[in-house]
Amino acid sequence: MGVSPARLREVLGSQTSALGLVLLIALTWTGFTSIGGSGFLGSFNLYSIVQLAARDAVLGMAQAMLIVVARMNLAVGGIGAVCTSLLGYLLVVAGAPLWVAVVLVGVVGVLAALLMGFTELTTGLSSFIVTLAFLSVYGGAAVLATGGRQFQITSPELQALGNGTLFSPAICPLVAVAVACGVLCWLLYFRNSLGWKMLAVGANERAARASGVHVGGVVLAAYALSGLLCGVATIMNASYELNVNAGFGADWLLPSFIAAVLGGVALTGGDISVAGILLAALFYDSLQSGLTIINVPSYWIELPQGLVLLAAVLIDQARRRRARPLERSRDTEPGTAAVPS
Amino acid sequence: MRRLFGTQWAPLLAATAVAGIVLGLATKQFGTAFNIYTILQTTAIYAAIGLSQMVVLAIADMSLAVGGIAGLVTIAVGGLYGVQHWPIGAAIVAGLALGLVCGLVNGLIIAEMDLSGFIVTLATGTAFTGIAYGVTSAIPYSNIPPVLVSLGQGRASFFSYLLVPAIAMSVAVGAGFRWLPIGRAILAVGGNREAALLAGIPHKRAMLVAHALSGLIAAIAAVMYIGVLESATPATGSEWLIISFAVPIIGGTALVGGDAPAAGCFVAALVLAAINDVLIVLNVNTEAVQMAEGLLIFAAVISGKLAQSVGRASPGRGRPLSSAGSSGP
Repeated sequence: MGVSPARLREVLGSQTSALGLVLLIALTWTGFTSIGGSGFLGSFNLYSIVQLAARDAVLGMAQAMLIVVARMNLAVGGIGAVCTSLLGYLLVVAGAPLWVAVVLVGVVGVLAALLMGFTELTTGLSSFIVTLAFLSVYGGAAVLATGGRQFQITSPELQALGNGTLFSPAICPLVAVAVACGVLCWLLYFRNSLGWKMLAVGANERAARASGVHVGGVVLAAYALSGLLCGVATIMNASYELNVNAGFGADWLLPSFIAAVLGGVALTGGDISVAGILLAALFYDSLQSGLTIINVPSYWIELPQGLVLLAAVLIDQARRRRARPLERSRDTEPGTAAVPS
Repeated sequence: MRRLFGTQWAPLLAATAVAGIVLGLATKQFGTAFNIYTILQTTAIYAAIGLSQMVVLAIADMSLAVGGIAGLVTIAVGGLYGVQHWPIGAAIVAGLALGLVCGLVNGLIIAEMDLSGFIVTLATGTAFTGIAYGVTSAIPYSNIPPVLVSLGQGRASFFSYLLVPAIAMSVAVGAGFRWLPIGRAILAVGGNREAALLAGIPHKRAMLVAHALSGLIAAIAAVMYIGVLESATPATGSEWLIISFAVPIIGGTALVGGDAPAAGCFVAALVLAAINDVLIVLNVNTEAVQMAEGLLIFAAVISGKLAQSVGRASPGRGRPLSSAGSSGP
C-alpha cells in the first residue's frame, strides 16, 4: 500500500500543486488547532477526517478518470445510488456473501458507466449532457427500485473496514483503500500504455486519433474505470455509514470535483496528479471538520465548499496562464475553448 | 433555421397534444380546468427556469448556478418583506437586483479568467446556496406577500396568471436575441467564438451580459415560484438543475451555442409540465418523473437529429450537438 520514496518524490516533484496542498493542510491543521483547541488533532477527530477523506479521494479519482480524457462524470452520485441500493439488497435482503456483493457492485458500477460511454459515443452528445441525464435516470431508478427503504448492513468485515483502526487509533483502514486506488491510478497513468493513451486523448483527441489511438476504446475504458471507482466509493461509504439507502450519492458531485480540481487535474484534460487528489481530499475534509470544531453552524457548511472550489479553479487557472503562456493560443480556438460543449 | 426549430419540437408538441386529448377522454381528472391550470402554472415556472439556462447556452456556456441564485433571491425577497418589513415592490426589486449581481459575478469570473462556466458556476452556485442556508439556518420565511400568492396561484378558469410574466419574458428574450445588437453578439460569440473575435465583437461583454441576464431570469423565476409554494425557502432551486437543461435542450437549443429558440423553450416547458402532470395523475412515483426527465433529454436530442437528417440539412449546422470530439469538459 505504500509508495516508495523515489516514486513519491517523482510524483510530488512533478506537481507543484501537491506541495502547495501539503502546506495548505499544515496551515489548516495549525490554524484550527490554535482556534479550536487540541481536539482538532485528537485521534478521534483525525480518524473521522481521514475516514471521509479516503472516500472523497476515491470520488476525486472517479471524476479524474473522465476529466483526464476531457470529459466529465456528473453521474458519480447516480452510479453511487444504484451501487448502494444493490449492495444493500444483496447483503440485507438476498443474504449474499460479502465478496459476491462487492464483486457485483463493482461490475454494476462498470456497466452503468459503460452505458453512459456508449451513449456518448453513439449519439455524439457531450459527456456533460449524457451524464447529467443519466444522473437523474440512475438516481430515480435506485429510489424506485428500493422504494426508499433502509438497509442495515451487519457484515463484520465491512464494519472493520470502515470503523476499525489501522496501526494507530487515528487511522481508518479506508485510507489503505484510497492509497491503493491512488497507486493503481498512478501505475495506470505513468506505467501503462492505456493511461498514456488516456492522457493523449485528453490533451488532443484529434492528434491522438491521427497517431493511431483507438479513441472510442480509450474513452470507454475511462468510463469503465470511473464506474469501478464509484463502486469502490460506494463500498467505502457503506462500510462506515452501515445504514444505507438509495439517497446515498446525492452529495457526491461537489467533493468529486473539489478533490480533482483542487488536486491539480486540468479541466481541459490530458493531465493528472494522483498525489494531488489524495491531498486535496484530505484538505477538504480537514476544512469541513475544522469548521465544525470551531462551532460554525452546519447551515453554513456549503458556502466554504463553493468558495474552496472557486479558489481552486482561479488559482489553477492563474498558475496555468503563468506557467505555459504559449499554450494559451490553443485555448482561444473555437471548440477547444474553455467551453463544455 | 426557424424551420429547424420547428421540426425539432413540433413532433414532441404533437405527441403531447395527442396524448393529452386521449388522456382527457380516458380519465376524468386530466381534462378539468383545474388540472390544465396546474399544468400551465408548472409550464410558466419551467419556461422561466429554462430561459435562464438558454441565454447562457446561446453563448456556448452553461450555468449550474441557476438554482443557487434562485434560492438566494427567494430568501432575500422573503426576508426583506417578512422580517425587514420592506414594501413588497422594493423587496422584489432588491431580489431581482441580487439575481442580476450574482449573474454578473459569474460572468465576470468566466470572462476575465477565461474559464469554463461549468466549474465556475458549480462553485458559485454552491456558495449562493450556502449563503441562503446559512442566513436562514434552513428555516423558510412563511410570511408571504399576498400579491405574490395571487400571482402564483391566481387563475381565470384554466389560465394561470403566471403565464403572463413567462410569456412576456419569452417574447422579450426572443426579440432581444433577434433585434438587439448585444443579443446578436451573444449568438455570434456562441456560434463561432474565433470568428466573433476577428469580427471585433466584444466577447467579454457578451459573456457578461449573458450571465447577468441568466441571473436576472433565475431571480424572476424565483419570485414567481414564491407564490406557488407560499413559502420562501432556501431549498428553492435545489431541484432545478435537470429542468434548466431539459427545457432548452428539448426546445431545440444547440449545446454548442449560437441559437436561442425562446419559443421552443416555452413549448418544451409545456411538454415537460404535461408529462409531469400525467405521471402524477396516473399515480406514478415522483422518482419516475425524475427518470422521465432524464430520458426525455435523449429522446428530444435523438428525435431532433432524426428530423434533421430526414429534412434538408441547413447550411452551417454541420456539427449539431456533436462537438464531443475536440472539446474540453
